[in-house]
Amino acid sequence: MVKIEEKYFFDKIRLSKEELTKLLSIALEKGGDFSEIFIEYRFNNSVTIEEDIVKSSSRNISIGAGIRVLNGEQTGYAFTNDLSYDKLKKVAITAGSIANSIKTNSAVNLNEQSSKNQFYSTHNLVTELDLNKKINLVRSAYDAALNYDKRIVKVSSTLADEVQFALICNSNGIFITDIRPQTRLMVVSTAEENKIRDTGFENAGGRVGVDFFETDKRPEEIGRLASEEAINLLSAGDSPAGEMTVVLGGGQSGVLIHEAVGHPLEADGAWKKTSIMSGKLGEMVANPLITIYDDATIPSYRGSLNVDDEGTETEPVLLIEKGKLVAYMNDLLSSRIMKHKPNGHGRRESYRFSPIPRMNNTVLEKGDNTAEEIIKSVKKGFYAKSFQGGMVNSTGKFTFSVNLGYLIENGQLAKPVKNATLIGSNFEILQNIDMIGNDTGFFLGTCGKDGQSVPVTCGTPTVRISKMTVGGKL
Amino acid sequence: MSKDMNLLSLAENLVNYSKSKNVDEIQVSIANEDEFTVEVRNGEIERLTESVSKGVSIKVILDKRVATASTSDFDDETLKFLVDDAIERAKLSSQDEFAGLPDEFFDKSQEIDLEIYDPLLEEIQPEIKINIAKEIEQICLADKRIKLSEGSFFQSGFGEVFIANSKGFSGSFKSTSCSSGVYLHSADENNSYEEGWWSNSVNFNGLMKPEEIAKIAINRVTRLIGAKKIETQKVPVIFERPMTSMLLGFLASCLNGHSIYMNQSFLVDKLGQKIAGENINIIDDGLIKGAIGSRLFDREGVPTRKLSLIENGTLNSYILDTYSGRKLGLKSTGHASGVTNFYLDKGNTNPDEIIKSTDKGLLLTRTIGQGTNPTTGDLSRGAFGLWIEKGEIAFPVAEITISGNLKDLLNSIEILGDDLIFDRSITGPTIKVAEMTVAGI
Repeated sequence: MVKIEEKYFFDKIRLSKEELTKLLSIALEKGGDFSEIFIEYRFNNSVTIEEDIVKSSSRNISIGAGIRVLNGEQTGYAFTNDLSYDKLKKVAITAGSIANSIKTNSAVNLNEQSSKNQFYSTHNLVTELDLNKKINLVRSAYDAALNYDKRIVKVSSTLADEVQFALICNSNGIFITDIRPQTRLMVVSTAEENKIRDTGFENAGGRVGVDFFETDKRPEEIGRLASEEAINLLSAGDSPAGEMTVVLGGGQSGVLIHEAVGHPLEADGAWKKTSIMSGKLGEMVANPLITIYDDATIPSYRGSLNVDDEGTETEPVLLIEKGKLVAYMNDLLSSRIMKHKPNGHGRRESYRFSPIPRMNNTVLEKGDNTAEEIIKSVKKGFYAKSFQGGMVNSTGKFTFSVNLGYLIENGQLAKPVKNATLIGSNFEILQNIDMIGNDTGFFLGTCGKDGQSVPVTCGTPTVRISKMTVGGKL
Repeated sequence: MSKDMNLLSLAENLVNYSKSKNVDEIQVSIANEDEFTVEVRNGEIERLTESVSKGVSIKVILDKRVATASTSDFDDETLKFLVDDAIERAKLSSQDEFAGLPDEFFDKSQEIDLEIYDPLLEEIQPEIKINIAKEIEQICLADKRIKLSEGSFFQSGFGEVFIANSKGFSGSFKSTSCSSGVYLHSADENNSYEEGWWSNSVNFNGLMKPEEIAKIAINRVTRLIGAKKIETQKVPVIFERPMTSMLLGFLASCLNGHSIYMNQSFLVDKLGQKIAGENINIIDDGLIKGAIGSRLFDREGVPTRKLSLIENGTLNSYILDTYSGRKLGLKSTGHASGVTNFYLDKGNTNPDEIIKSTDKGLLLTRTIGQGTNPTTGDLSRGAFGLWIEKGEIAFPVAEITISGNLKDLLNSIEILGDDLIFDRSITGPTIKVAEMTVAGI
């Protein structure tokens, strides 16, 4: 029944191009100036091994359509699970009621196009794999985690896979589809010794095929890394508290760039003037060491897209060039209001949401120092190795939470420490990053904004921050 | 009285279809949802969203092996495929002696009116809802200290669940909810501050009035003007009500049955033991009339109840569904759908008195970030608040962190406020904790 090909999805959706064109026109009957239909058919599967047994196996099939009408800066949005023409007609009228004028706009002819971009394959997907084989993958990770050390007492290993078929058409004539796979293998390990207990986590995946787990990241490695973190946490002490020099390990610390720079550069905050980066285009907002871009075109990455959820082709977008703010990440609405070219960052969690500017794969460009040099340069400080995630508010204060860190003493990693939240403010941190490594790595994340979650990654080399508040214990 | 009793028949039909395929047990739940949201900014509607949606979830058990499925595609072919496919997948799951449907279900003869459905919410016109959002923002923007509005909103929803299973249980209930609030910015020469307030209720008339919401939001954002960092130190911390909710949310995750049997909680093996001060009583009560978390039964059909989790500091119960209950040799507590109205019982001190009792300390008003670890009980978050000196608010503080361990915090709550309100599903009064590390400069 499950076939990952376009024809299968069109058979499910059962709406003709003529009907979609009609719906786009109906949506504009009250005078809106742009209408759009987003239709989604999505499979989500997961299988979990916990306490040695295949404990859960789930399959979700999601179908729905959202219709959006723009009227100046205003948005009308309505969605349904029922894709019958009559229901969608009602939805189109509801969305169109945002506008209230006598002039009627009509949709032009839909111009079917396929994306030039091919950043992920739709062949040999995990979603098509026999459940038995999926279980074997999960089992490999599980066994490696459990057998890593006698002190590992509980392990949970989950393989989650997804295929989203998205159809986007709008009153400008765009008619485009994208088939988007997404896979993630996650392991949670709990270690225990002398009544001290702690939990480690590791995951890997992306818009990848089955071969990813053979060539890029073996399930065994994911399991081992989760358990290694749990074991290291057992002997970790409390983190220090107060202002100090902080070194963020390469890869996972991408969370910093995501929170401190990424969110403030999403164009909705810029045109609404709610972002601290609003009105600063062309200005120096960071020190000249810093170059940051967002690239949805990295092949097979978790945050990559061929087209965004408004049908705009994605491209690498330079955001900060040697300290200077050169672009925001925008969607159609914000690009229209700010008179900027759309750059492919209009995303939505599903048909239940109207699109907003979002990140994809956000990257801080490499510098010249080795990771060792950076650690060596710090006499006394804090090294952050793994992260739980972060958060930023629109006034630029951000945090990220460290699971496992180390004290730095005389240029070397010393005692392991755990559980500290680091807090800073946006402009300060962009000035205070004073050394950037030549290594790289990516954090796989799920980013939440306005109640919508989307898959992203963020990548950074090892960085040194001259001064930051570490929220440990005295 | 239901909008769509056909959905209960559909659930029952799916149970019967599965039975014909020789599954041992099956459970079907269907949820139906209508939502309306208006977002207003600078006096204009920014976004209007309306939706009608539904979803079905299926659990099949075959020879003590489990598989689940869910969909929003109500096409007959898809539904049958999902049942057939779940049966095939269940064969590849492991035998699990603890798997299975509950032994006891909600008894319909015991049905009471929880007053969680307000027909008025379905009747009032969108214009009224839009005007409420506009009015809140208008009041706020009239205050010169407000630099900008991130927007105000009004949201209302109608939901109905239908549950049927192969043990003969079938039932449904419906509920409504509404919420309205606003988010604002204030500023001084160096910094901007964001804060807001929102009210929610199952009844339209239970919502706070627009002027009340606006007044609280204005106060919350303007009291931060002039905030500074403070020296790193250990001080008493007073948690405002929303901050108590934050702390209790963390506690709820540590009491969850899955965290317990997976050893991912500091409360493993602590049943019957003193884990908190004598003054601490924590309750989950699904049967409070008109409260936002109330429901008759959970998604397994197990009745909710008033459950004492911590009584005078002693851990009485975990939060359990049927599976986690059996794993721990206990019974479901009716929490397959999560907590209902989870609260810390109040004391008898007025919140102002709590501030007066504090020589030096932090009144915590907001936290940001994650920074919670259920396995160890460790808590570390970015924080904002008001600094207290000699029993009075001295100045606002920002860009600091608080950290502590929940185990210690539960044993050092010195004062409980008298201000318990059921306006969130996880709630508690203002509390004063003896000591936490506050990190700044």
